[in-house]
Amino acid sequence: METQRRNFLKSAAMAAAGSMVVSGASRSLPVIAAADSLPTGDNVTWNKAPCRFCGTGCHVQVGVEDGRVVAVAGDKAADVNKGLLCVKGYHVGSILYGKDRLTQPLLRKDGELVPIEWDEAITLIAQRIMHAPERFAFYGSGQWTIPEGYAAQKFMKGGLGNNHIDPNARLCMASAVTGFLATYGVDEPAGCYQDLDECDVLITWGNNPAEMHPILFSRFIDRRSRGDKVTLIDISTRRTRTSDAATEYLEMKPHGDVAISLGIMHLLIASENYDKAFVEKHCNFRGAEADTPTLHGEQISEEEFRKRIAAYTPERVEELSGVPADKIRMLADLFANRNIRITSLWCMGMNQHTMGTAINSLVHGVHLLSGHFGRPGNAPTSLTGQPSACGTVREVGTLAHALPGGRLVANPEHRQQSEELWNLKSDSINAVPGYHTVKMFEQFTKASADGGDIDTLFVQVTNPGQTLPNLNALFNDKQGLEDKFLIVSEVYPTATTRLADLILPAALWVEKNGMFGNSERRTQQWFKMVDPPGQARDDCWMTIAIAHKLFELGHEGMQDKDGEFIFAVKDEAGKDVPIWEFEHYYDVNVDKHLFEEYRRFTTMKHKNLAPYDEYVKARGLRWPVVEQPDGSWRETRFRFAAFDDPFVAEGQEFDFYHSSSNDGRAQIWFHEYAPPPEMPDEQYPFWLCTGRVLEHWHTGTMTRRVAPLNRAMPTAYVEMNRDDAQAANIRQGEKIIIESRRGTAELPVWIDGRGRPPRGTVFVPFFDETKLINHCTLEAHDPFSKQPDYKKCAVRVRKLSEVQS
Amino acid sequence: MIWRRLTTIFLAAVIAVAVIGYFVGLADGVPAPKGLHSHGLLDEIGHHHRAVVRDALSGEDSQTLVVPAIDKVIPAIRYAEIAQVAMGPTAALQATLVELPSSPYDLFAEIQLSAADKEASSALRAARRAFNGAPPVIPHDIQNTNDAACYACHSGGTQLGGMKASVMSHEFLANCTQCHASPPPAPFQDVDARVATSFVGLPAPKSGERAFPGAPPTIPHSQWMREKCTACHGGPNGWAGMESTHPWRSNCTQCHAPSAKLDQAIPVDGAVPMLPPLEVASQ
Repeated sequence: METQRRNFLKSAAMAAAGSMVVSGASRSLPVIAAADSLPTGDNVTWNKAPCRFCGTGCHVQVGVEDGRVVAVAGDKAADVNKGLLCVKGYHVGSILYGKDRLTQPLLRKDGELVPIEWDEAITLIAQRIMHAPERFAFYGSGQWTIPEGYAAQKFMKGGLGNNHIDPNARLCMASAVTGFLATYGVDEPAGCYQDLDECDVLITWGNNPAEMHPILFSRFIDRRSRGDKVTLIDISTRRTRTSDAATEYLEMKPHGDVAISLGIMHLLIASENYDKAFVEKHCNFRGAEADTPTLHGEQISEEEFRKRIAAYTPERVEELSGVPADKIRMLADLFANRNIRITSLWCMGMNQHTMGTAINSLVHGVHLLSGHFGRPGNAPTSLTGQPSACGTVREVGTLAHALPGGRLVANPEHRQQSEELWNLKSDSINAVPGYHTVKMFEQFTKASADGGDIDTLFVQVTNPGQTLPNLNALFNDKQGLEDKFLIVSEVYPTATTRLADLILPAALWVEKNGMFGNSERRTQQWFKMVDPPGQARDDCWMTIAIAHKLFELGHEGMQDKDGEFIFAVKDEAGKDVPIWEFEHYYDVNVDKHLFEEYRRFTTMKHKNLAPYDEYVKARGLRWPVVEQPDGSWRETRFRFAAFDDPFVAEGQEFDFYHSSSNDGRAQIWFHEYAPPPEMPDEQYPFWLCTGRVLEHWHTGTMTRRVAPLNRAMPTAYVEMNRDDAQAANIRQGEKIIIESRRGTAELPVWIDGRGRPPRGTVFVPFFDETKLINHCTLEAHDPFSKQPDYKKCAVRVRKLSEVQS
Repeated sequence: MIWRRLTTIFLAAVIAVAVIGYFVGLADGVPAPKGLHSHGLLDEIGHHHRAVVRDALSGEDSQTLVVPAIDKVIPAIRYAEIAQVAMGPTAALQATLVELPSSPYDLFAEIQLSAADKEASSALRAARRAFNGAPPVIPHDIQNTNDAACYACHSGGTQLGGMKASVMSHEFLANCTQCHASPPPAPFQDVDARVATSFVGLPAPKSGERAFPGAPPTIPHSQWMREKCTACHGGPNGWAGMESTHPWRSNCTQCHAPSAKLDQAIPVDGAVPMLPPLEVASQ
């Protein structure tokens, strides 16, 4: 009773928090009774953890009292955020305490969810896999911790010989990966956040860091308030809070970024203003093959490059992008100036793009061609949206085509190396890449009789029922397919658990040990601080428990060459620790065992990681982390540059040592502009762009359960231009229907809201599970990265009265 | 002739229809923009407020929050009358200004600390943050304004009528709303944003520790983001009941010890490291 009352008081008080100080009245809000059971602050212990939300990778100090998180503070010792947090980060502790946490395994029997025991759940899954291992698929995310992703990866590709494992990061940064691979031959940024402290000009390409990466944004923009002369140029399809702070706002048409980057390169070449010395020494030119374009294309001469790019005059670029020719010249002049330092930032605008690989490569190309590369402050910087999109997905390689440490399943040498490191029989790993995300869900939601050859799908740490594009085609069709079985490990009921056949309650964030890897190659570690509620358990444990059940059932893949269980952990006496029994899972540090095993994969691509214990001491370390003669471990801030990267060849200033042309050079790409796959027409006259807001993280399953955040942004909305609204007789706050060729969504209108789209464009955030905009979005995707384009499709807007009549 | 008369009648009819149509059009029920006459958020808060008070005082409904109806619509002036009309602030606003209390702050005025004030201030502070140390939420409407708009009132704090803008307790940082959660956007103030949570945040400390009666108390909270002591403890815009009794002394930490642990200044795991005890030879 006491607990209930104090909670009520607290939440009522929080609800009252919005009160304006009007006359004296609301100053005398009721005193929260200092009940005995309230945390007193006397016994709070503090410990470090990376924030659970975005890819920035801020460290927080978590205050725990009596087994509960009671406070969060910015970690002053953390280099990323230096003690500051954003509004989500400050409230990250509350995400554990939504009243509707899932606390027991639930099985759907005759349409009803009934509680079952863990053992029954694990056995059920193992039996389904045993029955048809090749029809099983594993879908995870960039929120998997590194050990969780590594265990899933080993279980699938090593154990089952099944490559149908893919993460939601496919929807998020797959094009960034292909952009890096095409340009440098190896993934992930060369620079780090220090670039934001040292650049003179920051260019945001379809990026709104003021809301999506606030800590990085303020790291840059606070320099202005301290008196630094900094210039922010925002290239975007709508005005955002980043535009509000920008020196220059360049409004482009969708796909305009491709034309703009080509236009800059054209002017640099035409005026002979590019960095000839840098390009001659360190770069090649590259273009797509005429017949069947591949990721690595073919080398072209500088002459050929000049010839192809000559068409992209400022006037032509103005026509394609909508950005005035003079502004293209202004950008080219900036890049031609070697005395200033320029950093580019991008995230989903360039990644969720049917030309994602192309535009990523082109922006890298602009920096390489102009020599704005490799010195602090000069960097093309790609950001990630999930806490371990880099650490788990890109480095551990939990993608349908990849193996740990930058290896590929299609490469026999890589398969052999992985089999050796895992101590598996040869040919355990399947050589054919598995299904990427869109394909995986197509196959899962298609009836078996029609060739849908995935029938058991295990989803961990993500919410595809809300985030997949074109939900009607890729998710909702699962309903009614009797032989399809959806397993979802979750912390709260979500759009995905709606259709789940088996729901597993998961431990979240500091309820378990973990490791993340952020956008600047920083690997971070934390320890479990509180117990998960009820029977909720670690995702990593689930994978190991299923693997062990298969081992017991006699699945050959679950034992290594010597007949040992593939996840066997020995104690000091050499005896097996039964980590597949949850009571014994924390008898040892499973994370440490898995990480030490995984670490051996990382040296091939020079992404060396330090031993686990080094990460315990640090607020993250940026790879490559290399051991020094004195036994200490040194992190690397700037890759490929001799002054900081230990792997650069002697005597070189720069060395792209994984170059796809095998000559230490990076590739400057040419790609022809192509229009978006679906454009507004008479029937569907509006562009639809989707995205995020400051207060909510991704599908809102966590942040929508946090009072101050949900109050600040209680609903999704349609941002609409005032003139468009007026022309359609739509009023502020009115509910309308957004309709595409694929589906509809009903949302209230916000005219001239936080972002201001130009005429003919509407914007909708995707965080609200009650207003699923992904019913409307398009599944058309980039040919190389297979990442869909959530940023542009054609819709129409209809008043409710029109639809009802 | 006949067609000319018919034209006149026809035109008269057209004009009549137009005039009637015009007035009907004016009164066709086009709703006024929301929020002009009532304030959804405040109504809601008022409701909560009463509910909370009732609960806290076990059913005794002792207080009601009165939200003054502010009529923001000012009648327009006809062109013909412009020359005769005084322009500038409205009569209502001029009256407000005249009534503004003049409160010159006296640095040396004697401070009488009131336990009741402190309790009230603490409660209001607590109501605006999820836990002690969290950045307070913004308790008033904001447009999508820039930092300068926040800074105008919150740099030095201000009081206007019954409203008080507190002083920023930290140095200027850009992008205010990245830490301070805003109230719902104007069009969505009526959306039910309640959440079901069992999170209970760390409460504010009641007071610092004193080594002995009369000793200066220690600082019981982190100084991070609260470097400006006078933002809360004294000054004209601080919290009632939490004022310093000696606001003219400006080097606070000379007497009031901060906490190394709370300030994350040095890692403190258990005991503070000391040299081993002296080896004193016995006999």
